[in-house]
Amino acid sequence: MSADSGRVGARWSSIAARTAVVVAVLAGWEYLSASGSLDASSFPSMTDTMAELARQLVSADLWTALWHTVRGWATGLAIGASLAVLVGTLLGLNRFAYLSVIPVVEFLKTVPVIAILPLAIVVWGATLQMKVFLVAFGVFWPLTIQVIYGVRAVDPVVRDTAVVLRLRGVRRFVGVTLPSAAPFIATGLRVAAAVGLILTIIAELIGGAKGLGLSILTTVNAGPQRLPATYALILVTGVAGVVVTSAFARLERRVLHWHESQRNLAPTGV
Amino acid sequence: MSSGVTGAVALRWVWSNVWRLWFSAAVLVLWWVLSADSTSTFFPPLQRILERLHALWIVGDARSELWSSLGHFAVGYTVAGVVGVGVGALLWKFRRIGDAVSPVLYFVYVIPTAALLPAIVAIMGIGSAMKITIIVLAAVWPTMLNTLDGMRGVDPLKLDTAKVLHMSALRTVRTVVVPAAMPQVMAGLRHSLQVAVIMMVVSELIASQSGIGFFILEAQQRFAITEMWTGIIVLALVGSVLTVVFIAVERVVLAWYIGARAVERKG
Repeated sequence: MSADSGRVGARWSSIAARTAVVVAVLAGWEYLSASGSLDASSFPSMTDTMAELARQLVSADLWTALWHTVRGWATGLAIGASLAVLVGTLLGLNRFAYLSVIPVVEFLKTVPVIAILPLAIVVWGATLQMKVFLVAFGVFWPLTIQVIYGVRAVDPVVRDTAVVLRLRGVRRFVGVTLPSAAPFIATGLRVAAAVGLILTIIAELIGGAKGLGLSILTTVNAGPQRLPATYALILVTGVAGVVVTSAFARLERRVLHWHESQRNLAPTGV
Repeated sequence: MSSGVTGAVALRWVWSNVWRLWFSAAVLVLWWVLSADSTSTFFPPLQRILERLHALWIVGDARSELWSSLGHFAVGYTVAGVVGVGVGALLWKFRRIGDAVSPVLYFVYVIPTAALLPAIVAIMGIGSAMKITIIVLAAVWPTMLNTLDGMRGVDPLKLDTAKVLHMSALRTVRTVVVPAAMPQVMAGLRHSLQVAVIMMVVSELIASQSGIGFFILEAQQRFAITEMWTGIIVLALVGSVLTVVFIAVERVVLAWYIGARAVERKG
């Protein structure tokens, strides 16, 4: 009972400490701009930024930009991830194909994705396709490698059981391969989702496609009086990042939880 | 063991690894053949790309762009690595402070660094300081978070044992903390490396007058597509070479760790 209340107390003091730090950072920001330590022409005050954020939140522009960003990100991620699962599974199931193709995949994985951006810009211009291509290309290689590892990591006992039970084709894929690869895919997806968001912003910022990245650039180019808007939009991309990361982390935890229970069962079975 | 046998073993090893390259070679040949008389503006013949690449990057003076980029990368990545490991270790050591600042750190971490780019340009101008800042701001996180995670994974029993044995703080770090956390610290540094390369290029794509990113973008804006391709290929090679170098270093570092573990087991 007392141990329980102690834990609750620790939890509350942790929440209090975290809140205090957040408040201190915001207050420190406001103090520094009010005292003139932060140059007003390059860094707006906290209250100005928050007021601008509140104004932006009820304006259609922000939501349109957010929608453009989310659409490019989600489409690119969906295309890249589906292709990665398909290609990764095929490569993971065939040793010959795996050994042959893996050097190319490993090489392309190390290529900085950003190298391909200027090519995408000349081919598609400042469009949604350009963004989607960059995101899909960027998430495809690392995710493919994750899927290959996952598919190849099938427990030998499970694999032999599937052979004995004559599971083949789709049933084997859905019942054996996919569950075994799921934790690897989940981890890969979490990383890919975050990387994809960064790539979307970069594509908008440099390629000029519509979205939060372009809005940030526009407000910077509009001069010092629009600076609060710049920082308000940066805060919005931060919140988008929080939403994306925590959503995929939650997904991963669910999948991994199941996976760990599987792994804990395995030793007792042997 | 006679040298003949070793030779045969070596030959078999080479063969078992070399045959796998057929697909990579096939891709290159296919690219060469399919693009041979390409009239597409965007996909010039591979032969012409390689000729330009030789003229520009091997005998030409485009290399100076590369050195300027790699200079920023080296400084930014080093700072990010040192700060990442240092702050990660401090956050682990001072748990309560680490817990209190975690929401703020997490928020800064998830902001796509590219979104900060225009703001940083507005504050710092377009010089080297801006580029290095961008690289550090983006690349510090994977190392910091992995260091923190790796150190959290240190067996508490071992730490308690070290305390009971009155080991000095330095010795505890060297014999208990480092061996346990090293693999994950290296994983973080590897991820940071990739991020640093990307941000090195991104920092040159906006308001810059030098660097390989600037070279590629400028070629694209002049519609000099062949030159743009040479930049892309050089950048791809630089990215892979850096990764290969890192893997080699990692093997040495973790070999020490594996060796230390083996000695521990024996002793």
